[in-house]
Amino acid sequence: MQIFLQTIIGGVSLGAVYALVALGFSLVYRTMGLVNFAHGNVVTVGAYLASTFYLSSKLPFALAMLVAIAVTGLIGLIIERVLRPLENRDFDLMLIGTIGFGIVLDALVIMIWGATGRAVPSPVPAAPIDLFGVRIRTYDLVVLAIAAAATILLVLFLSRTKRGAAMQAVAMDHEAATAVGIHVGRSNAIAFMIGAGLAALAGGLVGPLLYVSPALGGTLGIKGFAAAILGGFGSIPGAIVGGLAIGILDSFTAGHFQGYSELVTFLVFTVIIMVRPTGIFGERTVNRA
Amino acid sequence: MFRRRATAISAIAVFSVILAGCSAPGSDKKSSGDDSGPIKIALVDAQSGQLSSLGAWELKGARLAIDEWNAAGGINGRQIELGVFDDQGDPTTGTNLARKIDSEGYVAMIGTAESAVTIAMAPILKQAEIPNITSGQSPGLVAAGSEFLFLNGPTSTTYDETLAKHIVDQQGIKSIAMISNNGSYGKGEHDAFLKALQSRSVTPVADQVVTTDQKDFSAVLTGIRQKNPKVIFLGAEEVESGLIVKQARDLGITATFAGAAPQGTPVFLDTAGAKNAEGTIVSSPYLGNETSDASKKFAAAYKAKYNEEAELHGAKAYDGTQIMLTALKTSNVASGKALADAIRATKYQGLLGDFAFDTTGVGISATAIGTIQNGKLVAAAG
Repeated sequence: MQIFLQTIIGGVSLGAVYALVALGFSLVYRTMGLVNFAHGNVVTVGAYLASTFYLSSKLPFALAMLVAIAVTGLIGLIIERVLRPLENRDFDLMLIGTIGFGIVLDALVIMIWGATGRAVPSPVPAAPIDLFGVRIRTYDLVVLAIAAAATILLVLFLSRTKRGAAMQAVAMDHEAATAVGIHVGRSNAIAFMIGAGLAALAGGLVGPLLYVSPALGGTLGIKGFAAAILGGFGSIPGAIVGGLAIGILDSFTAGHFQGYSELVTFLVFTVIIMVRPTGIFGERTVNRA
Repeated sequence: MFRRRATAISAIAVFSVILAGCSAPGSDKKSSGDDSGPIKIALVDAQSGQLSSLGAWELKGARLAIDEWNAAGGINGRQIELGVFDDQGDPTTGTNLARKIDSEGYVAMIGTAESAVTIAMAPILKQAEIPNITSGQSPGLVAAGSEFLFLNGPTSTTYDETLAKHIVDQQGIKSIAMISNNGSYGKGEHDAFLKALQSRSVTPVADQVVTTDQKDFSAVLTGIRQKNPKVIFLGAEEVESGLIVKQARDLGITATFAGAAPQGTPVFLDTAGAKNAEGTIVSSPYLGNETSDASKKFAAAYKAKYNEEAELHGAKAYDGTQIMLTALKTSNVASGKALADAIRATKYQGLLGDFAFDTTGVGISATAIGTIQNGKLVAAAG
């Protein structure tokens, strides 16, 4: 029982990070119908920026995160601006464009910060909470709280603001949205910016849990992408559930299948996707490809 | 105006590089016959990807050695040129690079730091007769059986035999748990340490295997916590080992950790947190920059050049490169089999100890035990 609970707790904190990565994938997909293959690399950039502002500029962790999110959001805007001429013309080229951006970002990270990486000390130094023999890291609670807050803000933005409603309209039918005077390009730009901001949030939060290196975004990107697919690509609640599910699944397979855990995780994932190709929340209203 | 001129200059520069590049394939590896140009040595290591920190250290160590020789006038008046290739820690990329350095006329190779990549490259380098000094330590390197392959350090067997001797024989600890990853390094460590334990009729209380890019170890560590071992052996690279230690301490595990080379590096210490890694037992041929005059001199030169502390991997690559250059000098800039024989005959007092190569290509067969105290690796008392 103790192992069972501890395993779930271990999975949930990384799962929350996967969920944030999945949210970024899903937001861009539901708005533009595009899979942003550079997303994992944007996570790496966000993690490096956050750790740089935190460690080198000695900003408080929360402030360092905000600055990193802003700067990374700007990078998202740049990616969208460069790809915009291709929007609605050549979809395949856009996909390849995002892959290209991923490679460029990867190279830039190594040029700027070097190949060795860095460890980020935990901003919450308090000792873990001991609950009937199950240990909960205080920083994990912070990660969960921030991830939950970010999700709520995102949902409120999409459902309660005019801009958010416009983005929803573009997601449903971009031609009709254009006809009623919604600027599709701007809506895409905002999707990319928020997506990149979420990536920076995920990267910044995961820094103290893991180790910030150029390879960081690769694993998180793949797991986050799998989480988005599992939850239902394009679905906001799906990204959350998918992220937590992948995190916990990962944690359990690691305990039971040891060296083959990765294999089992993705086998289970494949079986679920075969049974339910649209994912758990399978809305998949977007089909602009 | 200024910018246009700069563009023109860089265009010329690019053009001449292309010209130089074009002429390379024509002059194949027999080019060692012309003894006017620089001596070309290739460094193949991961410069990108998960294992790039190893590659970066290796490059620094090797470049330091080569710069010292070049500053002293090179070998027979010829400068040494270091070509850097990125294998991404990937065996397939490695085999492609092996063919590339052969066709581009490199006489010798330094690297790689990944046993799996080096083993994949070995047959091609053997056929091309290019001597290679690797930083890998898997017993599989010896099993590859190439007379052109040399190791700049001990194999896992030596590391783990010394470690088991210290823990079991000297400290009398028999309650030992093992965590290793399923990569080539972790697998080698797992087998070597388990063998060393079995030869002392000790059975580990837990033997857990993790994947190379696993991030959460809650399940594995909680299982180990219930067994309450005194020592936990780590058979994984720097970052993963650091994460395991950090998460273990968060789970309330107080056992001492033990491991080979990676557990003595700054990356391991930073990732785990110095407080969490306190007391870790390390089996390593290079216990720190303060152990001898040679290592002090090396560390000072390293610090002056790169503004960071020297560590084991840089020292290994430095030793390996020194041996390669010494062999080139004694053999009068030979290549192929003559150079391999010269390396085998080289006796060199290095940072890791006294090198004397046997027929398997292993030059050092001893490590020392150190522990981490106050965030620094120091030689163990006794």
